[in-house]
Amino acid sequence: MLTLQDVGWRVGATPIVERVTFEARAGEFIALTGRNGAGKSTLLDLVAGLRRPAQGDIAVGGRVLSQWTPLERARAISHLPQTMYVQSPVTVDQLVMMGRYPHADRWFESDADRLAVDQSMAECGCLEFRDRRVTTLSGGERQRVLLAACLAQRPKVLLLDEPAAFLDIDQQLNCFDLLKRQAEAGVLCIAVSHDLNLALEFCTRLIVLAGRTVACDLPVADAVDRTDWLPYFSSRLERVMTSDGRARICYR
Amino acid sequence: MDRRTAAPPHHRTIAPSRHRTIAPPHHRTIAPPQSRTESKWVVLSALAFVAAAVVLPFVGPSPLDLSRVWAREAPDWSILVQLRLSRTLLGLFAGAALALGGCVFQAMLRDALATPYTLGVSTGASLGAVLAIALNWQAIGGVPAIWAGAIAGAACVLFFVLGTSVRQPEISPLGLLLAGVATNSVCSALILLVYGLSGMGASFAIARWLIGSLDAIPYGPLAVFIGTVSVLAALIVRQARAWNLIAMGDQWAGTRGADVRRLMRFGYVSGSVLAAVTVAVTGPIGFIGLVVPHLVRTRLTADSRVLMPCAFFLGGVLLASCDALGRVVLAPAEVPAGAITACVGGPYLIWLVRRRI
Repeated sequence: MLTLQDVGWRVGATPIVERVTFEARAGEFIALTGRNGAGKSTLLDLVAGLRRPAQGDIAVGGRVLSQWTPLERARAISHLPQTMYVQSPVTVDQLVMMGRYPHADRWFESDADRLAVDQSMAECGCLEFRDRRVTTLSGGERQRVLLAACLAQRPKVLLLDEPAAFLDIDQQLNCFDLLKRQAEAGVLCIAVSHDLNLALEFCTRLIVLAGRTVACDLPVADAVDRTDWLPYFSSRLERVMTSDGRARICYR
Repeated sequence: MDRRTAAPPHHRTIAPSRHRTIAPPHHRTIAPPQSRTESKWVVLSALAFVAAAVVLPFVGPSPLDLSRVWAREAPDWSILVQLRLSRTLLGLFAGAALALGGCVFQAMLRDALATPYTLGVSTGASLGAVLAIALNWQAIGGVPAIWAGAIAGAACVLFFVLGTSVRQPEISPLGLLLAGVATNSVCSALILLVYGLSGMGASFAIARWLIGSLDAIPYGPLAVFIGTVSVLAALIVRQARAWNLIAMGDQWAGTRGADVRRLMRFGYVSGSVLAAVTVAVTGPIGFIGLVVPHLVRTRLTADSRVLMPCAFFLGGVLLASCDALGRVVLAPAEVPAGAITACVGGPYLIWLVRRRI
């Protein structure tokens, strides 16, 4: 469904990511991890079409991304930015409705659009504050609203830049639970995350960026059995097994 | 450790899965969409616009006798049609252009304090007009020299800024803002220079022009002005849904299907042309482009589909009303509309800034 072939991107002459190659299928839930500055967000932006690769090709459904119009792209790919500074007094309802932009070709959205918005808000548990202004929400509530806007887009590929960054632990679990269900429903989810335990618990695949390229790409089922990918994050990590046989990453 | 064995009771926060499998929530799906109910505000604003066009021409230092107007007798009829009506229409459409330009720039720069003047084009227009006054040009090719100078000044700034941004991969709000600040300070300095070098009469005329005021203008140029403003307004408002996205951020807009680069370019050019043609005929009238979009956004809605048309109509009503007030408040002397809007807008701005803190 998503193919990256030798993808590279640079700022001026400084390469940020190079020779990134991988394929991903519908239904996968990929954790894209790596240290700060490893190029995770850049790679996500490239797949989202926000930046053009300096080398290589990115194809979705067999079609190279640069051939897509912005509207076509937005019907297939949704992207949750890392930070979003909302200053204007939009309501939750209006913000989630923005996800319908690529689908609605009229001045006002249709009943089908409203249905999609209502469904997404129900899925993300934000129906109860649909009429509030986004500026009045807490960080966790806001993240759910933004996620609902992404789901309302009905994407085939869902890209999330640190979706759990500002959430409390329970909300982090809920958020990844929700993404896991999206993946099970056939959406390709790629989430940038620093939380390896969340990744091991919910994701199906782990891609570690280091040295400007993919250092490690393995299914989570394998990752729990191995420890050779831990040094990419820190030398002070170790894997422990819980009493019920689950792998967890701990600090030494 | 294992969440599943001891699921917290408040696990409902994100998505109980029944919502996905069973029918969607019927909560408000039948009720009309929010934006459609909000469009009554557009109708009301349009009515206010029309009402202002009918009523305000009758406001002025010399009272008009309705029966004489009805009989088309001089001088009441000619005062109404030649002076007051054209001046009111100018005020309505100038105010509308400024308010709509403010909406566009506030969406593009994501800043509630942006105005049609923030990006520098109108200061360029002012410089052109001031030069025309200082050099005592009367007309260039049949067009009053002040208008021609203002349009030329605005065009210079526009092409300069666009030219420097051509090589950039995208137009960034910060880049536009910096270009605007730089242009504003350079042009303001040059205006002061011209002001200082010109003689008594010219410098008085310059100071008067820089306050910004409305005057009766012939119907020919007025029609051109109204036509330009209306066409640009239609083109801008047509993209209202994309402006909603842009106001949230470039990334947000770009991954929801808006062509950000094209839209930013269009917004910059159309907003600047709106400001430039308005400054050319009225001088730089302040605060309309700041106050009106902000009022509509906080009081009515942030949805550009309603915000933009409402700001257009109400901006016109506010400027034309300020001008009508200026005609009578110190009659027979006239207070320029720019002074009135500053008196109204200044305190509002202070209140706004205090509330933001």
